[in-house]
Order: sequence, then structure tokens, then C-alpha cells
Amino acid sequence: MRSIRAHLAASALHDGREPRINTNPCKSVFPSADASVVEEFKRNVEAVDGHCFIVHNDAEVGEVVKRIAEGKRIAVSSEPPPTKDLFDFDVGITTAQAAIAETGTLVLDSAAERNRLVSLVPPIHIAILDASRIYATLGETLEALQAGGEVSPAITFITGPSRTADIELTLTIGVHGPQELYVIVIQSNG
Amino acid sequence: MTRMSTETFSENAKAALRDAQLRGALRHATTLFGRKRREAAASVSNWEELRNEARAIKDEVLSQLDRYLETFVTNAEKRGAKIHWARDAAEANDIICQLTLAHGARNVVKSKSMTTEEIHLNTALERAGMQVVETDLGEYIIQLAGEIPSHIIAPAIHKTKRQIAELFTTELGMPPTDDVNALTSTARATLRQRFAAADIGISGVNFGIAETGTIVIVENEGNIRLTTSLPRTHIAVMGIEKLLPRFADLDIFFKLLPRSAAGQALSTYQSFITGTKRNASDEGPDELHILLLDNGRSRMLAHPVTRQSLACIRCGACLNACPVYQQVGGHAYGSVYPGPIGSVITPQLIGIQKAAQLPYASSLCGACREVCPVKIDIPRLLLHLRSEISRTQRSGRARERLAFKFWAFAMMRPWVYETTARVGRGFQRWFKSPLKAWTNARDLRPIEAESFREQWRRTR
Repeated sequence: MRSIRAHLAASALHDGREPRINTNPCKSVFPSADASVVEEFKRNVEAVDGHCFIVHNDAEVGEVVKRIAEGKRIAVSSEPPPTKDLFDFDVGITTAQAAIAETGTLVLDSAAERNRLVSLVPPIHIAILDASRIYATLGETLEALQAGGEVSPAITFITGPSRTADIELTLTIGVHGPQELYVIVIQSNG
Repeated sequence: MTRMSTETFSENAKAALRDAQLRGALRHATTLFGRKRREAAASVSNWEELRNEARAIKDEVLSQLDRYLETFVTNAEKRGAKIHWARDAAEANDIICQLTLAHGARNVVKSKSMTTEEIHLNTALERAGMQVVETDLGEYIIQLAGEIPSHIIAPAIHKTKRQIAELFTTELGMPPTDDVNALTSTARATLRQRFAAADIGISGVNFGIAETGTIVIVENEGNIRLTTSLPRTHIAVMGIEKLLPRFADLDIFFKLLPRSAAGQALSTYQSFITGTKRNASDEGPDELHILLLDNGRSRMLAHPVTRQSLACIRCGACLNACPVYQQVGGHAYGSVYPGPIGSVITPQLIGIQKAAQLPYASSLCGACREVCPVKIDIPRLLLHLRSEISRTQRSGRARERLAFKFWAFAMMRPWVYETTARVGRGFQRWFKSPLKAWTNARDLRPIEAESFREQWRRTR
């Protein structure tokens, strides 16, 4: 747990970029009348078989992580184990640099952290996200990813745990990627 | 199962119609996909608008494909990608085999790609001494069974879980089971070993973004992420028609593709890969090779009618909607691209003579056009190809041509028409045998005892 706390303290959540709060009305394919963007995001994560926790500080993040991952082997993206060892880990913890409320999607950006494998190989993925980084729509998110003019070498959108329906169209969760996805949203101002 | 040929559609179709298990599986799959697509499309208020915009974007790309390709190549190269051009399947396979050999590779992992199916890349790689493994669950199943995909997005829908369990028992030594979760876990465990040992990962591409040089790949399983992240070298095979002008255009296509394909608001994973990693310590492959494949595509550009075939985003919605596909399934088409869009693309890719039956494998009902997210007018394309066939293939349809010539002759001369009708009325009983193909499944309407013209003359 020490490494998680250290990770959280040094997390890329506050990397100096201006947090974007989306107050402008936008053309959403799922117009969310009055529910907040965070609530909409949570609902849509759960709709695709993910779990979502809304917390208010780093200590609460630690508690949630402990509940999910206690006693398990944990890989953290800020200090990832060698790739060949990653297959032996139970839990991968990453941050997410953005999220999309209308689809319940996490956005992981290689400019901010080594996210490609820690979020993919272990059977459980825990993603930590700052509420101010949740965009209402896909369109706004794409725009933000390109905001600096340059697109990062590797960006991954994640919507729920890995799934397949290739055998008799029976939905099966966790084929190549994680079987469980937990999103912890930090909403600082309550 | 032996590979069916594109030249024997009607025989293939008849065999498929006798396969009760196949038809059950097809009914289940096409009904479910169809319903999910309808619901997903209905959840978007501006669906029609999105379809029109998507088509306009594709038309924009296709009308200036040379320019957009150049922009894409410049931007991808600037960020470290290596670009290869292949005119046809042989050239593409050559380039990829050379690359794998030059890297001293032995183990290749592949993610699902219709384009690599189209060029039969696996056969070429195996001939070059590579161990190739398909990592998409459905593709893995059909690779173990030695078959080809029967659906663009669900390659193994023709197989039951019992058949798959038997296959896993024989090929992987798994204890017999009918639990889908257990089958999936076995595939996961087996394929993880292959991923860990892989030297090269080969993927397809859903969208190439000209403006940024990005390739975008869409999936649900996570095998594409593993294929493109773990091995030291990533080769992406991309048809030249896959381009979009701008990064922001993805907004529209991400709304249309997953909804049309599997009724999802968004597929589980979208990987955006822009060149190679910036620092040696970063994750991901050291090398990114993008192979741009023509293989007949530039020929389709030449004609304004056939050009729209290149707008296809391979969602598979037209397969599920097609009353012919619903009955005969994908293998009957004998091509890697089945269904309505396959009947359009295959003859243009492999030559119209080799697939002359496919444009006729349609009732022209238009269900495919109704569901197509980029509004490809498939019935019109089928008619266009039919006219090409009848123009170039003088033999074979001589009787039909003669019949229509006589029809035109008779319709322009009332006395010929009336005489024929009168004679026909007396002899219609004997017409049944030459028209068997029609009357086997339908009634031939008898000629009335008194025609309209005769009634008119009598009662006027």
C-alpha cells in the first residue's frame, strides 16, 4: 500500500494543465437533462459492467483501493514492474487523464504516464480520475486531445472491462484484458 | 470444411440451406445483431444526419485520396512510422515476410483484420517459417478449425459451443465442457503465452487520420492492445480507403461504427497510435510499420458508381439485414467479404469473371442500403455489376437475352403480343417445366381467359 500512496501523492492528476470544466452546452447524443456530468459518467461506467466510486480526497482513494486490492499483487503505472513479470500481477493501478460522461469512457494518454500495459494485463484495473477531467461528450474529448496541436503517441479509450461474444454470441467478460474495472473519481469540492 | 469458391455461389447456398444447425445459428445471430443495431441507432436523435455527414466525409477523402494519402504519410513519417506501399496481395505479403525475416522473428501475433484475410497473409507468413496465431477469440477458433470467417465482426458465429469445446479438446487438450466462460479462460491462458513470446504484432486499421498521421483501431477484447503494445515491432496493414481527413471526424465514426456493428454506444477499446514512442524507456514497440494496400481499390475509384464501395467501414450491418445472408451465411459467398457488401467488393477485387454469381446473390430489396451507416447504395452497385457482367459475358445468358429481345419485339407490336398471349393461354400448362427455377418456389400466375384488350373490345 505504501507504493500506492506514494503513487497517489505523485500522481499525474495535478500535472499543471488547466483543468477543463465543461459548462458549455454541447451536442450530446445522450442529452443528460439535469444530472451532473459526474453522475452521468458513473451511470454509464456501470452500464458497461464497470464499477465507479466517487470520493473526495486521497485518503478515501486509499480506502477504496484497499478494499478492492488488499492481499493482491499490485502493479502501479508510475513504477511499473518489468513487462515479462506483469503477467503475474492481480491488479493494475493507473490514472486516467480524461473521461467521457456520455459513454462512461476513460482516456489514458501516454504523454502523462506508462498506461498501455498496466491497465491491460492484470485481471483487475483500477483507474483514478479527477472529476474536473470528465468531459460531457466524445466530441469535446477529441478536441481536447488535440488541443496542443500534437497528438500523443499512444492514447487509449477504455469503456468497461474486456468483453467478447464470439462463442454463440454469449457475452463473456474478461477475455484478453481486465475482468474487472474500477474507476475512482476524486471530486474535491464535494 | 473445404474452402468454397466465389464461382459456385448457388451450389454453396444450396448446401448451406440444408444445414439446419447453421441456419439456426444464423437466425439467432442476425436477429440479435439487427435488434441491437436498431435500438442503438434509435438512441441517437440525429442518426440520419450522422450518416449523411459520414458519407460526405468519406466522399471528400475518396475524391482526393492521393492528396490525403500524401498528408497521412508525411505526418506518420514525421512521428517515426515507416510507410510501405503495396499494389497487390503478393507485394503486401512479400513486404511483410521480408520485415519479419529481417527482424529474425519466429512468433507473430495477429489481431483480427479483414484486410490481412483478404491478402491471405497467414499462409504467406507460415510459408516463410513463422508461427502465426490469431488472437481475437473468434478468429482463433476458426484458425484452429482451419476455416475462414463467416461474418465480418463475429467470425465464428456458424459454430456451436459444443463444436468449439470439441475443437479445444482436440487442439488444446482441454477437458470437455459446455461452459462458455471456461472456453474463454482457456483461450485467454493459451494466448497469453503466445503474446509473451511474440516478436512481431500485426494488426489492421479502422481509421487513418491524415491530419495527424494517427492510426485508430477499435475492439472489445483487448487483444489488439496486446498485439500493438507487447512485441518490439508492430506492423499495421491498412487499405488505402481507410483515411479520414481530420482527428475530429472520429466523433461521427465512433458514433456510427460500434452502434452499427454490435449495438454498442462505444466499443470497449479504441487505440490511437501516432508514430513510435518518444523515449526509449516508454512503453510500446520500437518500430511501427504501416503498410498501405491498394489491391484493386484504386480501380474502384475510377468510376463514380463503384467509388462508393470504398466508403465501407466494415461494420457488418448489411450482412445481418440481408435476407440472403440470413439464410446461407458467410461461407457460401466463398470470399472473405460475405453478404451484400461482399457481393459488391469481391467481384471488384478479384475480377468480375471469378465472382460473376455474387452480384446476383441478392433480391435487391434494399435492406442493406437502409442500415448502411455510410449510405452505400448497394443495390445500385449490384445492378451496375450485373450490367458489367451481361456486357462482358456474351455466353451463358443467351437464353435470357433472347427472351428479353423477344419481349421488346412483342411489346412494340400489338398483334405479336396478342397472338403470343392467345397461344400462351392454350399452352401455358407446358411452360412449367422450362420455368422450373421460378415455379419451384412460386406460383406462375395463369394467363386470364380473357385479356384486358379483349374485354375492352367486347364491352366498349
